[in-house]
Amino acid sequence: MNSPQLEVRSLCKTYDEGRIEALRGVDLSFDAGEYVAISGASGSGKSTLLQLLGGLDTPTSGEVLFENAALGTAISLDAYRANRIGFIFQAFYLLPTLNAIENVQVPMLALSQSPRDRAQRAEALLVEMGLEHRLKQYPNELSAGERQRVAIARALANNPSILMADEPTGNLDSVNSAHIMEMLVGIQQQRGMTLIVITHENDIANAAPRHIRIRDGRIVS
Amino acid sequence: MASQLSFAGFAWKNLWRRRLRTFLTLGGIAMAIGAFVALVGFSRSFEHEWLRLYQSAGTDIAVSEKSILNTSLDESLGVKIRAVPIVERAEPMIFNLMDLTPDVNAVVFGWQADSYELDALTFTSGRRFCNGQPEILLGDTLATNLGKKAGDTLEIQGTTFNVVGLYHGGSALEADAVIMPLDELQQLSSLQGKVAAFHVRLRPAPAGEAPDKYVKRAQAEIEAALPGLHATPAAERAANNQLVGLAHGVAWGTSTIALIVGILGIVNTMAMSVFERTKEIGILRALGWKSWNIMMLIQTEAAVLGLVGGLIGICVGLGALRMLSVMPQTASVVSASVSSLHLLEALGIAILSGLVAGAIPAWRGAHLSPVEALRHE
Repeated sequence: MNSPQLEVRSLCKTYDEGRIEALRGVDLSFDAGEYVAISGASGSGKSTLLQLLGGLDTPTSGEVLFENAALGTAISLDAYRANRIGFIFQAFYLLPTLNAIENVQVPMLALSQSPRDRAQRAEALLVEMGLEHRLKQYPNELSAGERQRVAIARALANNPSILMADEPTGNLDSVNSAHIMEMLVGIQQQRGMTLIVITHENDIANAAPRHIRIRDGRIVS
Repeated sequence: MASQLSFAGFAWKNLWRRRLRTFLTLGGIAMAIGAFVALVGFSRSFEHEWLRLYQSAGTDIAVSEKSILNTSLDESLGVKIRAVPIVERAEPMIFNLMDLTPDVNAVVFGWQADSYELDALTFTSGRRFCNGQPEILLGDTLATNLGKKAGDTLEIQGTTFNVVGLYHGGSALEADAVIMPLDELQQLSSLQGKVAAFHVRLRPAPAGEAPDKYVKRAQAEIEAALPGLHATPAAERAANNQLVGLAHGVAWGTSTIALIVGILGIVNTMAMSVFERTKEIGILRALGWKSWNIMMLIQTEAAVLGLVGGLIGICVGLGALRMLSVMPQTASVVSASVSSLHLLEALGIAILSGLVAGAIPAWRGAHLSPVEALRHE
């Protein structure tokens, strides 16, 4: 049997000197190429779980393993985020001073690629997102749906093996939401990537082959 | 071709986003570097002109008391100096800074009419002065500023002097100076029988003896013959005399204060910038940027501020020097020429100032927790 690509063991995260328990002993595993939705009410701990899975934060206790190597010890969090993970956020988080193609190149600046290669890859990704006519537009000149597509292209820039999306449709209307989810699933299937989506929308959560529900920092199903 | 994003380009865009703050910071660092270029350039040019003053006349050693500002040597000591076998000539001299008109002041040298130093001047008109006569020579730059020619008169401190000749000297200090008979300047300064120094020309060095070793030997022989006096090689005298030391001290002191103000400006700008961009730093960390990438970005921005501020400052400093070099009040001691090494030094200081100023904000930015930074509003 193959070992999971990503695994968490007895994961706990507390804030405010232990007074707030965001995660209480979570055990989970994710296989490579899996599409998983994680849902829960506001404050349930789903975003905290994503932050720990994505190496943005460290657990209070327990561990996160990527391909059986513990994050923060066997693998540095910086290297993990740079090479393995692509993040997509609800608020897009595009940099306002950069146009679309420059925003997509930002993650690549952390790795050693030539400027020409970076620009070519960014252009190819934006074309793949259907934004070939919006390469030089700044974030404030793009619609919400277009901004999220630029953010997806940026998440793919360093060719990660896992895409993590935190409420990717939270700032979009229903038409754009459906389009973005269709796009994410298409990318996941086409590239064989792992896709982990945090959502509070039941439609999106139920459409995923695997749906994890979280409540009060515990996995409930 | 799609637009390429470079690290420096990203840094520049961040600076350009807050133009007003960037320009104000550039103004601060430009003023600091401008002050450095102008003041330190001035003091070095002053030192250089002293050296040229000695070199053009062929002076090897200056004999004086400890300070160049003392005019307390007995003129009669010249006999003892000339008696040292290695000495070919020893010329007494004094100098003073005097107001010639309400707007023009100049260095006034007192030399003897047969001084070898007069041989080094190129006379453009007139003749040499005679000892004991109220006669003066004017440097060509000073003569132009005063509108004087040979045959005119000039009143200095209540005494009327005949301008008997104009000359071109090897140094800006001479070109903008007055030279008069030693005894006339002694009388004008109430220093009869006293001199500031003896300028010594040595006999030719024996074959096989290195010039610097020869000068050292002469120095020792003169000091042995005249205990209590200092025999200083010309280059050392130019670099270390009290006037040049004062100019260096004032220049470096003022420049350092200006640089500290400029550095504080960059620190403020970068600290504000890091604070305002906390969320952006969190985004960059989430996108895979390592701590040192963040540090490099902020340090690049600080270095760009230093570099651009430094380039503007160099232009400001050169402009100020050029202005000083043509103003009658300062032309005698300021030359507009600045060595390229001095400009490179200014640019290096500007970039280094940027890096020093950016270090703490960069460290702070680099050590922000990605999650905390992303939560920042």
